[in-house]
Amino acid sequence: MFGREKEEPTATKADDRLALVLSYQRSDIDERKIKLFQERLVQLCDEFGYDVVGQITVIPQSKERTTIINASIPVKLKEPI
Amino acid sequence: MCMNHNSVAITVTSGKGGVGKTTTVASVGLGLAQLGYKVCLVDTDIGLRKLDLMLGLENRIVYDIVDVIEGVSKLRQSLVRHKEYPDLALLPAAQTRYKEEVSPSQIKQVVDELRQEFDYILIDSPAGIEGGFRNAIAPADRAILVVNPEIPSVRDSDRVIGLLESANLTKIDLVVNRVQPGMVRDGDMLSVERVQSHLAINLLGVVPEDKRIIRSSNTGEPVILDSKSLAGKAFSNIARRLTGEEVPFLDLESPTLINRIKRLFHIA
Repeated sequence: MFGREKEEPTATKADDRLALVLSYQRSDIDERKIKLFQERLVQLCDEFGYDVVGQITVIPQSKERTTIINASIPVKLKEPI
Repeated sequence: MCMNHNSVAITVTSGKGGVGKTTTVASVGLGLAQLGYKVCLVDTDIGLRKLDLMLGLENRIVYDIVDVIEGVSKLRQSLVRHKEYPDLALLPAAQTRYKEEVSPSQIKQVVDELRQEFDYILIDSPAGIEGGFRNAIAPADRAILVVNPEIPSVRDSDRVIGLLESANLTKIDLVVNRVQPGMVRDGDMLSVERVQSHLAINLLGVVPEDKRIIRSSNTGEPVILDSKSLAGKAFSNIARRLTGEEVPFLDLESPTLINRIKRLFHIA
């Protein structure tokens, strides 16, 4: 009403932040570990015949007390030599 | 040793300091005594005791838990009975000693002796996860985790849950303290549901922010004795739930006319 856009509640952002904070704590993960993880994923893709064509993102997420590691890997099939 | 098999030792803990552990112990302990149970409150915050102040018993302490452990006094001599509720006793912490001077097994031995007389033994844990925390959880059958709806408190509590579970203490209940429904409604505070969802443990109670708690800690009368206090009512309900009674959660939402109008115009 009155043309005002309602701002996203702070607590929603805090909730996302908390989920991330908890997942990092529960999985005892840090930036160095994530980088190593990304490097291994590149190797794994290579073994299975894929080229990684973009940024790999590894994001731990918490659901209940379980941590889920989400990896997003943009790939394409390797060109036959 | 002849034990009271119905006796339950409950450690009240949090990780982070200042979330309301001691306030919870004082009020829930008094609530259990009001229900007719024999209750002993044990302060394990050696060097920084507070529970005596919350109960208004600070001037009646002669011996403390360290005296019992060192054999300076007998357990019965060290218990301070509440004048109005004689079934409520306090075993105070020493104020001029250090947490490292006692061990978890010594605390456990004292609590085992208390089990002979008391139905409920509530153990007030110090903040942190070091020696004092290990002392406080050693004798416990179950734990109450006091959390404020804010990220630092929830993160510390999550860590504490892990430590409790690794100590084989798996019966853990959650008390969310200092909830401000208005802030939750405005999206400025985590909701109780989100806190519980993240921590994934049983919700035992929800206590609203209440200025009367500050007054009660200054007067030495636990807020549960204040009939006008909503927080006092919430603590009373927690005590009843601990005994197994099914008590509905308080409705903390009391929408005022102004709030309703604000929401109608999407400005709240």
